[in-house]
Amino acid sequence: MADDTHSPGEPTPASSRETDQYLPPDAIPETAPRREDDVATRLAAAVPSMPRLLKYAIAITVAVLWIVPFLGLFMASFRPLGEILAGWWHVEGMTITLENYTRAWSYQTAPMGRALFNTLVVTVPAVLVVMLLGAMAAYPFARFEFPLKTTLFFLILLVMAAPPELVAMGNYNTLREIGLFDSYMGLILVHIGWGLGWVVLFLRNYLLGIPVELEEAARIDGASRYQIFRTIILPLSTPALVSVAVIQFTWVWNAFFFPLVFMRSPELYLAPQVLPLMTGRIQVEWGLVAAGSVMTMAVPVFLFLVLERYYKQGVVAAVTD
Amino acid sequence: MSLRDHIDALEADGVAWPDVDRRKATAIVVFLVPGLTLFGIFSVGPIVYSAVGSFFSWDGFTIESFTGLDNWIRTFADPLIVNWDNILRWRFPMGALTQNLLWVVLHVPISTLLGLGMALLFVDLKGRRILRSMVFLGFTTPTIIIGLVLMFIYDPQAGIFNELLRVIGLGGQVRNWTQSPQVAIYALIAGGIWVQTGFNMLLYSSALAAIDPSLIESAKVDGAGRWRRFWDITWPLVRPVTAVVVIMGIIWVMRVFDIVYAAGGSAGGPNHAYSVLGIEVYRAAFEPPIDYGKAMVVALVQLVIVAPLALYIARMN
Repeated sequence: MADDTHSPGEPTPASSRETDQYLPPDAIPETAPRREDDVATRLAAAVPSMPRLLKYAIAITVAVLWIVPFLGLFMASFRPLGEILAGWWHVEGMTITLENYTRAWSYQTAPMGRALFNTLVVTVPAVLVVMLLGAMAAYPFARFEFPLKTTLFFLILLVMAAPPELVAMGNYNTLREIGLFDSYMGLILVHIGWGLGWVVLFLRNYLLGIPVELEEAARIDGASRYQIFRTIILPLSTPALVSVAVIQFTWVWNAFFFPLVFMRSPELYLAPQVLPLMTGRIQVEWGLVAAGSVMTMAVPVFLFLVLERYYKQGVVAAVTD
Repeated sequence: MSLRDHIDALEADGVAWPDVDRRKATAIVVFLVPGLTLFGIFSVGPIVYSAVGSFFSWDGFTIESFTGLDNWIRTFADPLIVNWDNILRWRFPMGALTQNLLWVVLHVPISTLLGLGMALLFVDLKGRRILRSMVFLGFTTPTIIIGLVLMFIYDPQAGIFNELLRVIGLGGQVRNWTQSPQVAIYALIAGGIWVQTGFNMLLYSSALAAIDPSLIESAKVDGAGRWRRFWDITWPLVRPVTAVVVIMGIIWVMRVFDIVYAAGGSAGGPNHAYSVLGIEVYRAAFEPPIDYGKAMVVALVQLVIVAPLALYIARMN
């Protein structure tokens, strides 16, 4: 089998080998054909060329450089303050201790243990309710015409462009009025109202991609619109709902401004709110800050790594659709 | 189907009220009302409240009387927002609006180019998923932690950035970067770029993945060089994404709050040297002396700058 058209660096494409498949039965040789490329050429094909090697080196350097700050944070969280001040990059004779974590966990102003619990209490309902109400509202946006639809659309876009600071004053007064200021419920409601805009738009775009024929068939079988929503629309939009869940969870968990404005009692502080308090007044307690930060970011980072595909797809779809 | 089509469709069939299907109408209401109620109360309502309130005088948190453009004029004359004297001498603080716009001017182009560069670098490498996730990690982290990490990097003793300066023989430059009024803003912008590059890279990566590889191959066969292939094939295909990347970058930067708060507290640094609009809103609204009118004006300025851009994205599709 002549292989001159291919450069030695490339493996033989499958197509040229397939011509051998149609030999008449009696022409099939007794033994398998010997591999024509020896070990040396195969090795040469597997090892990338010089420019490519250089490209790998640059790419890996850049990526490592990008996480060095987090590496430092992680190292600092396990080491005593003295060693951190001498530089966390000195690794010889390093002491590993969990003291920073235990101290952060029971930090006197606002213990991290409590703060993480508060964050979870706010985040879970804020995510679940947004998913349900968002999917419900997205359905008519994707399928029906109704008055004020365009106006509502523009309002959603406007809210998505608005900075969170713009709704802080109004919500502050509203929550004071209805007695939900400085409570889990108040912050949850603010997050739901804030998240609904993008969720509705995102799910609507997804629903537009689901063929209407399925629903029409169900209509003919006598299903009500609520049944269609529950048994067809919701199951079919699972991937989009997972994306919404991951992104909204990350957003609410990571949010700093809303808790800062609406949570005033130390026992209700959320984790991101506690971290800047740990910097102290004279000497920053880096170990404490690092341990608290690692605990706080562990949740969204873990979620990102596990549901990476949904997260990335969601982020891309949310901003480009 | 995009928003534009929707508008056209609506304009075309006009109002179709006469033969409304009652049960369909009920279903639409049932689906929409719970979500839209919360959306109205906690998002649209407060924005309208701020828009109206910016034309009134305030006593603490209570609205008083109509004063026309008083709050607006007062805010733009406030050296905390625009400080003309310092702008002319290029000394910080130059005012939160100026500083915020400086963020836009530096952060957006640099993070866009870096994002594109990295997407191109990683595009055909093995293990690109891991490389991308490493660069993207910062974007999933709470931004308040990003701010604290920046303080840690720039710390005169414990900071690796200052260590790097010492190693390359620039020991004289060692300082607490986030607390030095004349350079701190650049140090923080670098941090913003660090985070946003991952996001931009992700958007560019997905655009590059959508390019048909046979296009590039046939250009190679035709003898097009690397540069030609980029300008004639890749760039036209990723250009629409660039608009999204740039606009999302501007929106992100105009909202920047946590990073600045972590480094400089609610003052936005020593003598407000790197305050941004979000910080000014927070201080005016929630720290005595309370000035709701000013807070509303500043927050509206943030919106007015980005709203046309967001509408542009919506129309583009």
